[in-house]
Amino acid sequence: MKHVHEEESKYAASAKDFRKNVTRDLANEELRANFRGAMDYLMDKRKSAFSSADELEVLREQCKLIKQRCLAKLPHLLEQLEDKLEHNGIKVHWAETVTEANEIIAQLIAEKKAKTVVKGKSMVSEETALNDYLEARDVECLESDMGEYIVQLAKQHPSHIIMPAIHQNKQQVAQLFADNIDGFEYSTDVDTLIQQGRTILRDKFCQADVGISGVNFAVAETGTLCLVENEGNGRMCTTIPDLHIAITGIEKVVEHLADVPPLLSLLTRSATGQAISTYFNMISSPRKQGEKDGPKEVHLVLLDNGRSQAFADEELRQTLQCIRCGACMNHCPVYTRIGGHAYGTVYPGPIGKIISPHMLGLDATTNLPTASTLCGACGEVCPVKIPIPKILLRLREESVKPNREQPQVMQGQGAGRSAVEAIIWKIWAQVHKSPTLYALSMWCLTRCRFLMPKKLAGWTSVRTAPKLAATTLHQQIKAKQAKQGRG
Amino acid sequence: MTNKTTDINVISRRARGNILAKLKAEVGGADYGKLPQETAYVYPECSQTDNIAQFISELEKNHAQVIPTTKEQMAEVILEQLASLNITQLLYGEKLDEQSDYHREVIEALKSKVTLQPYDFSIDNNKNRLFNECPAALSNSRCSIAATGTIVLWPDENEPRSLSLVPPVHFVMVDAHKLHADFARLIEAEQWQDKLPTNVVLISGPSKTADIQQTLAYGAHGPKALIVLLLNS
Amino acid sequence: MQPVNTQHLRNYPKKPTQVYLFGTCIVDSFFPDSGMDAIELLEREGIEVIYPQGQSCCGQPAYNSGYKEEAKAVAMAQVKQFPLDIPVVVISGSCGGMMRHHYLDLLSDDPAINNFCQRVFEFTEFLVHVLRLKPIDQGEKERVALHTSCAARREMGVHITGNKLISQLANVDLVLHDYESECCGFGGTFAVKHADISAAMVADKSKHLVASDVVRYVSADHGCMMNINGALDYQKESLRGEHIASYLLNRIKGQSKAQSKGQSAKEAL
Repeated sequence: MKHVHEEESKYAASAKDFRKNVTRDLANEELRANFRGAMDYLMDKRKSAFSSADELEVLREQCKLIKQRCLAKLPHLLEQLEDKLEHNGIKVHWAETVTEANEIIAQLIAEKKAKTVVKGKSMVSEETALNDYLEARDVECLESDMGEYIVQLAKQHPSHIIMPAIHQNKQQVAQLFADNIDGFEYSTDVDTLIQQGRTILRDKFCQADVGISGVNFAVAETGTLCLVENEGNGRMCTTIPDLHIAITGIEKVVEHLADVPPLLSLLTRSATGQAISTYFNMISSPRKQGEKDGPKEVHLVLLDNGRSQAFADEELRQTLQCIRCGACMNHCPVYTRIGGHAYGTVYPGPIGKIISPHMLGLDATTNLPTASTLCGACGEVCPVKIPIPKILLRLREESVKPNREQPQVMQGQGAGRSAVEAIIWKIWAQVHKSPTLYALSMWCLTRCRFLMPKKLAGWTSVRTAPKLAATTLHQQIKAKQAKQGRG
Repeated sequence: MTNKTTDINVISRRARGNILAKLKAEVGGADYGKLPQETAYVYPECSQTDNIAQFISELEKNHAQVIPTTKEQMAEVILEQLASLNITQLLYGEKLDEQSDYHREVIEALKSKVTLQPYDFSIDNNKNRLFNECPAALSNSRCSIAATGTIVLWPDENEPRSLSLVPPVHFVMVDAHKLHADFARLIEAEQWQDKLPTNVVLISGPSKTADIQQTLAYGAHGPKALIVLLLNS
Repeated sequence: MQPVNTQHLRNYPKKPTQVYLFGTCIVDSFFPDSGMDAIELLEREGIEVIYPQGQSCCGQPAYNSGYKEEAKAVAMAQVKQFPLDIPVVVISGSCGGMMRHHYLDLLSDDPAINNFCQRVFEFTEFLVHVLRLKPIDQGEKERVALHTSCAARREMGVHITGNKLISQLANVDLVLHDYESECCGFGGTFAVKHADISAAMVADKSKHLVASDVVRYVSADHGCMMNINGALDYQKESLRGEHIASYLLNRIKGQSKAQSKGQSAKEAL
C-alpha cells in the first residue's frame, strides 16, 4: 500500500516547503496582482451584502451559537443523521483517514464497474487527493466546477476554497485552453471561455457513471444533504449519473432544518456578497419509484481526518465551526501577498493555518501558525466568530511546548521548539519580571548602544535598524523628578 | 497497486466506532438544557406589494427575466419569448395540463404553435435526447421567497429535477400569492422538516460563474436563461 | 474570550486626579520622548502622572511566541506595579489590548485581574472618553494620515479615538490613505520569522502612505512605526510617522516636531 502513503503525505511535504513556496510566489508579480485584484473584489462584495452592522452582528452571534450547539451534540447528531439518511435510502460510510475515504469511494465505483466520474466542488475530496487516487485505478475523474476544471487542466490545486482558479487571470486561462483543448482558438473573452468549458463538460455529465459532490450542510433532523452553488454542476453531478457519492467532514452536520437559513444567508454573503447562491440543492433520497431521474444510489462518506483531535479541546473545537466561506482569506493581508498555493495545504489562508495542523500534524505545518501578524482581520469577518488569532496563539504554544509534555493535545506537539529560543525566552522573562534586572539591563544597553548591529537578519533587508535611545524613559523620568525635588 | 478488494463495510464499521467513541468521550454528561439562547435577527414585516417588488428586483439583479402576466396571457407570453429566441420546441412536465383548467388551456394554446414534448420518459436511456434535443423547458413552482428572489421547485415524478436543469432556457410559472418573506419563515410556515421530497431546489437566477477573473458569465452548466412568469391577479 | 473593541460597552470613569502611565518596553528603550510628551500632555490637563519604575514589558512578545508561562511571569510582575485604584494609561494600542483583554485569560487565576483590566485605557481612548480632551490647535495648516495598529483597531477601537482627536485639530487635514485598515506587516517576531512576507506588507503600507501626499503620519503604536519608518528611511523617503502623544502636544503648543525637540526627521525614527 506504499502509493497510498505517498498520496497522504503529498500535502505534508508541500506544507513543509512553506518558506520556499513563499519566496517563489512573492517573486511572481502577475500572481500577486491577480490576488490583490481578486481580494479587493471579494472584500467589496461582502461589504455591500449586509443591510446594517446590526444585522451582521446578530446573524454572526446566532450562527456561532448554532454551530456551537451542533458541535456540542456532534456524536448524537451524526447518529441521528445516519439513521435518517439510511431511512431515506442513502447509505452512510465512515472514514477516519483520507486513505479509508478513498478506499470506500474507489470500492463503490468498482462495484458498479464505473469508469468515468464527474465531480462537483468538494474541498474534502481535495483533502483525500481523490482524483490522484482514482486515476491511479484507471477511473477518469473530471472536475466540473469551472474553477476546478481550469485548475485540473493546469495540473494544479485550488488556490482558494471558493474560487479555485483565483490565481489565474483570463489571459492565462485562455492560453491554458489553447494549449489543452483541441480546436480552441485563443480568446480572452470570458463568455467564450466559459461556453467552451460548458460544451466539454455537458458531454461529460451526459456520459458519466458517477457523480461526486461535497456537502455544505447535512441536516440530522431530516436526513438531507444541502449543496450551495452557482453554476449548476453540483446539480448535474447529483442528478444525472446513476450513482451519487457525497463526501464531507464530520463537522458539517446541523441539528435542525431551521438552522439552515441563517447559516446559508451568512455563508453566501460572507463568501461572495450574494444574498443567496443561484442554486440551493437539498437532497433527501435517491430516485424513488416512479421518478424519472436522479441517481439510483446515493452514498455519504463522513470523514474525520484530524477533526476529532480538534474536537477534543474546547478552544480548538471552535475551528470546526467553520462553514468554509473563505472570508478570512479574502481579508487576510498575508494570503493577499503570498496567494493560496504557498501554504502547501488544501485549505489556505487563516482557516488553513488553524485546521491543517489537525490534518497533517504540527510537524508538517509548524511554519503556518507563526506566519501571521495576528492583525485580527480574519476573526473580525468570520461569520461564525471563530477566534482565529486566539487559536493561532494556541497553536504556537503547542508548537513550542516540550514534545513530551502531557497532556498531548496535538499530533506533532513541540515540532517548532528550539532549545536556544526556549532559553532566550526564559532569560527574557527573568529580566522583565525583575525591576532590578530590567533596570540593570537597560543601563547596560543604553551605555553600549554603539555596539548595536547595523544589520539585523531579515529586518534590515528592507528597513534601517532602529536606534536605542541615549537615556530610557525610566531614566528620563527619574531625572525629571530629581530636578523637581520629588522621588 | 493491489487488486485486493477491500471490505469497505469493515473499514466503515471500525471507523464509525472509533470516531463516535472519541467524540462521545468529550461530550459525556453535557447538559444541553444549559446551551445559550440563540436570537435571530428580526427582519421588518413587509407588505405583499413590497415583497413582490423585492422578489422581482433580486431576480433581475441576478439576470433572470421576470414577466408579470395573467392566466389568460400566459401562453402568449411564452410563445413571444420562444419566438424571440428562435425556439420551436418546449419540454414540459408530464400531467402539467391536468393540474387545473388554466394549465390545460395554456398547454392547448402552446401545442398549436410549437412542438411540445412532455417529460414522459426515464432519463436512463434518454440522456442524449435531454441534453441535445431540448432547447427549452417549462415548469411549475411550489412557492417563492421575496428576500432573495428565489423560486422553490419541488421536483416529482411529473416534473423531474433535470427539467429545470438541462434545457438551456427555463420558463417557470410563479404564483405571487405563494410568496414568502424569507427562507426561514417559509420553512416554518410549511413545516418542511416533516415532508422533504427526494430533492428540493431553490433557484435564484440562471446558471452563472465568476471563476475566471471575477468576471460574471451566465450559462455555466445549467440554463443560460431563467424566464419567470409571474402570476399576480 | 475573543478580544473585541469594547469602547462602546465601557463605563468610563470621571476625570481622575492621578493616573499611572505604562510606557511600554519599545518606548522605554527606543522612543522615550513619546513617553515624556504623553506625560506632559496629561499634566497640562491637571493630572498627576505616576510612572512606577518597576514596570518593564506587558509580556506580549513571549505571549505571541507561544511562551505563555514566561509571558505570565512578566505580566504578573507588571500588575503588581499598579496597586492603586486609578487608571493605567498605556501609550500603545497593542500593549493596551494585551493588558486589557489578554491578561484576563493569561492571569485568570488572579481574582483581582478583572479589576486591573478594567482600569487599563489606551492613551487616545483615555483622552477622548475620560478626559474628553478638546485640543486647541495652534499649529500650521497641514495634511496628515493616521495609521492605526491592528491590535489597537480591533481590540481597543483606537481608529475611532485617534480619528476623533485629529479631526478636532482645526488646521489639520486628516487624509485617508489607501488600504488604511490593512496591517503594516510588523507583528512582532513575525517581521523576523517571516521577513519576506513582512517586507512585502510594509512595502505596500509605505507606498500607500507616501501616495497620500501628507507631511507626516500619526500613530499610537511605536511597533508599527518602527517598521514603517524603518522602511521609509531605507527607501530614502522623507515621510515619517510621529506618535500621537507628541503630535497632539506639538499642535497644542504650536510647535512642529522638528522645532520643539530639535530633532531631524531621521532621528525621530
